[in-house]
Amino acid sequence: MTREAFIARLRSGLRDMPPNASADIIADYDAHFAEGAAKGRSEAEIAAALGDPDRLARELRAEAGVKQWEARRSPEAAAVAVFAVLGLGAVDIVFLLPILIGVISALFGLMVAAIGVFVAGGVVFAVGPFVQPPGGPAVALLAGLGMMAGGVSGGAILTLVSIGLTNALVWYGRLHYRLLKPAIDPQPPLPREPATP
Amino acid sequence: MPESIDVQLKKGVLELCVLALLSREDAYGYDIASRLSASIGMAEGTVYPLMRRMQGDGLVETYLVESSAGPSRKYYRLTAAGRASFAAQRDAWRAFARAVETTLGDPA
Repeated sequence: MTREAFIARLRSGLRDMPPNASADIIADYDAHFAEGAAKGRSEAEIAAALGDPDRLARELRAEAGVKQWEARRSPEAAAVAVFAVLGLGAVDIVFLLPILIGVISALFGLMVAAIGVFVAGGVVFAVGPFVQPPGGPAVALLAGLGMMAGGVSGGAILTLVSIGLTNALVWYGRLHYRLLKPAIDPQPPLPREPATP
Repeated sequence: MPESIDVQLKKGVLELCVLALLSREDAYGYDIASRLSASIGMAEGTVYPLMRRMQGDGLVETYLVESSAGPSRKYYRLTAAGRASFAAQRDAWRAFARAVETTLGDPA
């Protein structure tokens, strides 16, 4: 691979990153090629020693996504971090995806339920005094308040659970990534000595 | 898919090796990459994601030095946190290596 092809593939792999961050990274690899060339190595040699640019881009993106999630706990950052880590292939996606979809749907359903309980509580609170409920208007007001409080605390607990789950997944993925899994080329095994009788 | 034990060992000590290298002298990316590639056989490109992570974790910082040959070089040096991390990881490694050596015993 030529220097140009390597940088182009790296650049396209990093296109979703902030432009100044990807420019920084590309400058690192560009400098590497320049240093190598000054030492008399060919572009193909340098590119081969660097490794696969697509994989390097995935690692750099996952690292950036995880950093963003650590700095800013938002649903958007969580999604970016989770997908970046999954894209790394560090987490076995075929094994994990059905579980992940189940967990996310369950969380989503519970969140909708919590909002529903909150809204229903609001309705009970608002119309209670006007429709002669059993037990009188005061009971309706208290029941409405209780349901709204229940909805809010349910939502809060679900948020904490979601944050915990994202952290766990990121931690698990990073455990593999930290160690830079297949980016280290295994050395080919040494040819065996012919067996001497 | 099981990996060879050789690769497993290397990935565990990569960061420690970079810290050790920088504890002796500051170095620039190409220098770190080619030395680690020669000594433990890692892919040279791996060094840059690793350096970015270590920089993000506050273990190393960078400064630019004018180079006689070509553009200025980005040098890495250890921060105080990097030196502390190196000491801790080195001690952990030595204790671990000693324990493994003891367990393996003398070659028959």
